[in-house]
Amino acid sequence: MASRVSLKSRGKEGKGSKGSDEKSTAQCLKEWSTWTMKKAKVITHYGFIPLVIIIGMNSDPKPQLYQFLSPV
Amino acid sequence: MAGLVPPGPTTVPAGESKKAEEKTDFMNLPCPIPFEELHREALMSLKPEAFEGLRFDFTKGLNQKFSLSHSVYMGPTEIPSQSAETIKIPTAHYEFGANFIDPNLMLIGRVLTDGRLNARVKWDLTDNLTVKANAQLSNEPHMSHGIVNFDYKGKDYRSQFQMGNAALFGASYIQSVTRHLSLGGEVFWAGQHRKSGIGYAARYETDKMVATGQVASTGVVALSYVQKVSEKVSLASDFMYNYITRDVTSSVGYDYILRQCRLRGKIDSNGCAAAYLEERLNMGLNFILSAEIDHRKKDYKFGFGLTVG
Repeated sequence: MASRVSLKSRGKEGKGSKGSDEKSTAQCLKEWSTWTMKKAKVITHYGFIPLVIIIGMNSDPKPQLYQFLSPV
Repeated sequence: MAGLVPPGPTTVPAGESKKAEEKTDFMNLPCPIPFEELHREALMSLKPEAFEGLRFDFTKGLNQKFSLSHSVYMGPTEIPSQSAETIKIPTAHYEFGANFIDPNLMLIGRVLTDGRLNARVKWDLTDNLTVKANAQLSNEPHMSHGIVNFDYKGKDYRSQFQMGNAALFGASYIQSVTRHLSLGGEVFWAGQHRKSGIGYAARYETDKMVATGQVASTGVVALSYVQKVSEKVSLASDFMYNYITRDVTSSVGYDYILRQCRLRGKIDSNGCAAAYLEERLNMGLNFILSAEIDHRKKDYKFGFGLTVG
């Protein structure tokens, strides 16, 4: 009895997961894009100012490090 | 040919454009100003960045293109409140900024002591195509915004496509119709707030005056008129009406651009009088005074500051 019940429930689960497989490509895409946006936000938040500084310090005429640090 | 006008809300009736007194060469019209800068002259004269408290800005240039900026602000900041009273809490912050300005690429970043980042990028991919991005990022969840714009500049038209977070999409188009008149339109769609809207705008500009008008389906009707009385003096007036909330605001102001200073003042129909003075004390040293008196809300804001570099 118990085994039959469990077989039935597994059968239902099998069908259920197939149905959700078809939906999950769209959901996967949504989850991926949300994950990418979150990572991009963190990277931009920490990395934008260092990026500008690196690009600026490598532009010509190349400024020296003491010019960057001194307040005058 | 760049003179083609696509069908749609921005098409103008054919009879209107033929009434030019001088011979306008319709194949050689000037490029109009970007859609978001339509009210530029009126905004510059009537809405200076008024502040309250102390402000000190120091910009240090490391070479022609790269500069760092340090900014200190101390003063009360208004927080939104449910009641009619204005609630202000004293705040102080230091802002560090790095700017890289190249003919093709502009990167501006500002970071505050509480972790908020304000980033602006403008990249000219080709002569006509520009990508702009603007982001305000903060450590608090759901308080960050970002927008990317793609601008295409044609011979006598400009078009822009905009994408933002919270599924915001927008597009705008502005076309020079005669030498003085340009007409434009915009549409936007905000996914998360389930709102969409369409708007039209017109701008008539001569050497002495600029008149603009804008209507949008969000209920906003905005008209402005700026008259350049002389090289040093401009007068501006502005009328904003929201036909959904039945809200009306009108303001009149002046803008004096003198050798050593720039003085702007305005008075509002909400009972608000404001003035903003920028005085050049020395080469690279500017002194700023800002005052705003709101008689209706009994809110008085006075600020002073110094800008170096």
